[in-house]
Amino acid sequence: MDEEENEGRLLEEGEAPKIPEEKFEYLDHTADVQLHAWGADLKESYEQVAMAMFNYMTTDYSKVEMKHVYEVEVSGEDLLSLLYQFLDEFLFIFSAEPFYIPRVVQITEFDTENFKIKAKGFGEPFDISKHPQGTEVKAITYSNMQVHADKEMHDVFVIIDI
Amino acid sequence: MRSYQEELKYLERVNDHCWHIKKGFVDNMKVDGYFFANSHLEKLMFDELRQSCNNKGFGGFLPGMKQIANVAALPGIVGKSIGLPDVHSGYGFAIGNMAAFDMSNPKAVVSPGGVGFDINCGVRLLRTNLHRRDVEPLQEQLAQCLFDHIPVGVGSKGIIPMTAQNLEEALEMGVDWSLREGYAWAEDKEHCEEYGRMLQADPSKVSSRAKKRGLPQMLVIRRKKMGIEFKDQVCVMIHSGSRGMGHQVATDALVAMEKAMKRDQIEVNDRQLACAHIQSNEGQDYLKGMAAAANYAWVNRTSMTFLSRQAFAKMFNTTPDDLDMHVIYDVSHNIAKVEEHFIDGKQKTLLVHRKGSTRAFPPHHPLIPVDYQVKENKLLGVDCPVGHEYPPWYPWTSMQDTGTEQGMVETFGTTCHGAGRALSRAKSRRNLDYTDVLNALQEKGISIRVASPKLVMEEAPESYKNVTDVVDTCHAAGISKKAIKLRPIAVIKG
Repeated sequence: MDEEENEGRLLEEGEAPKIPEEKFEYLDHTADVQLHAWGADLKESYEQVAMAMFNYMTTDYSKVEMKHVYEVEVSGEDLLSLLYQFLDEFLFIFSAEPFYIPRVVQITEFDTENFKIKAKGFGEPFDISKHPQGTEVKAITYSNMQVHADKEMHDVFVIIDI
Repeated sequence: MRSYQEELKYLERVNDHCWHIKKGFVDNMKVDGYFFANSHLEKLMFDELRQSCNNKGFGGFLPGMKQIANVAALPGIVGKSIGLPDVHSGYGFAIGNMAAFDMSNPKAVVSPGGVGFDINCGVRLLRTNLHRRDVEPLQEQLAQCLFDHIPVGVGSKGIIPMTAQNLEEALEMGVDWSLREGYAWAEDKEHCEEYGRMLQADPSKVSSRAKKRGLPQMLVIRRKKMGIEFKDQVCVMIHSGSRGMGHQVATDALVAMEKAMKRDQIEVNDRQLACAHIQSNEGQDYLKGMAAAANYAWVNRTSMTFLSRQAFAKMFNTTPDDLDMHVIYDVSHNIAKVEEHFIDGKQKTLLVHRKGSTRAFPPHHPLIPVDYQVKENKLLGVDCPVGHEYPPWYPWTSMQDTGTEQGMVETFGTTCHGAGRALSRAKSRRNLDYTDVLNALQEKGISIRVASPKLVMEEAPESYKNVTDVVDTCHAAGISKKAIKLRPIAVIKG
């Protein structure tokens, strides 16, 4: 997606989605942290793992308000690279202008045949005077990345570099 | 999948401080793996392996031993894949893992997973002519002053003004850029590895995405910086890397190399070990981009040096010159470099990957700073590693070692980079209470400033391997010798 066009827009009244139930946890890893997310389908697991990543960057995720919406579009060559690109794209909008942290991530198109995702992030720019600093996630890794598409909980595991 | 007992058949103790990982431990091993560990440290390594066997392929992570072995399966590796005493599970290479690749072998590879995401993460040590008694009364104010001067933590932005043009130049020039802009002293670069500038850097090989991540982050500290003392003399240690910019360079290369691997039919055991032939376009582009990110990291450490000098001058109402705040050394522990080494008595040009490990060349080696080539002449330490990950609790928080001739043979002139983690950060956060940790620090007379108080648990002593074990193992194995020790008095952490 052309980054120049991804400037987001202000949310209209009543457009902010409901905050979903948390379906993720942080697992032990010696150096870094492993995200484990699950859901009713793979789409939900992917959404949850993105929120797990952002939740780690602030010690109080509830302080993030939904004022803006940003859209991202990514593609991959298989489920793993799709997940990698999806998380990397969201990490990028956090890490550079506009330093955007979504409170809710929603996937609007989830194409597991051509490996494409369109998604929206609802949130606001990260502001250290408002959002207590957590640990910065700096990169997504493929290390032992797992997508259990056939399991009941559609488990997804991602080790992130912090 | 093999059981833990079956896995053990591939592991053999060489001596009290070294283990051998035999071929067959993972597929396609071209050389053997070795890791250095004493009886305490080896337990942690075996725990990782046991835990991984118990997971039976659902979740979990690759144990360090498997990662060392996966590196041994990369094309063009020479000698052995080596885990230093602080080795633990990372991604791609283990953290504290080094490996060298033969530049004359067209199949030999470069892997961003062997450098790490935080390209040229490293440690710099500054001296002062202050003594403990000079600093003690002002210790808290000094910690606060350093904290105020230096932006730390997630979401912080740099305070030295940067434009896109500045960034291009900084990527190309490293410490020379800082010098030109007036942020460095001319002699600073003399004590930096590579003189603070990798010449093969090419900013055009750094994507606009990486630059966008880099621009706001110029000069933000990543982990920590310490005011520390050595024999009553106060020093400042700065630990940081290339942050978002380096990460994006690594991510971009990883994606490009995945495609190149299909084209060139390179197979690896772990997707995070994506790599490319050194001479391929992808390999060369990565090395040029990596060098640019390395230069960026040097500018960052130099800028922090500048701000530290200002903070000290302000607190002590004098000038950095009068405080004698010289750079003792600046070393990198996430980097790949072209070096000359002897393999079976023959000189070879190698691409040496050091991930979470530090170059430690012996005295007289032409690549170490000229002041340190003759041992008697050394200022303090030699071209050496520094323990950034040593938690502030240990009496020996940081150790400066000197490289050895034996290290040149055993580990391609490489030693540890820190204490290495023993406990996951997640577990540290769960099991420890930050007020206890802060109180313990206070009892030891250590001032601390953190971006968020909850992050302090990650630095608790339980989170790390015992630094004494790590350094003693390096010493006993002969890969580096203990030189001096530093004790923390103030810690500022992002």
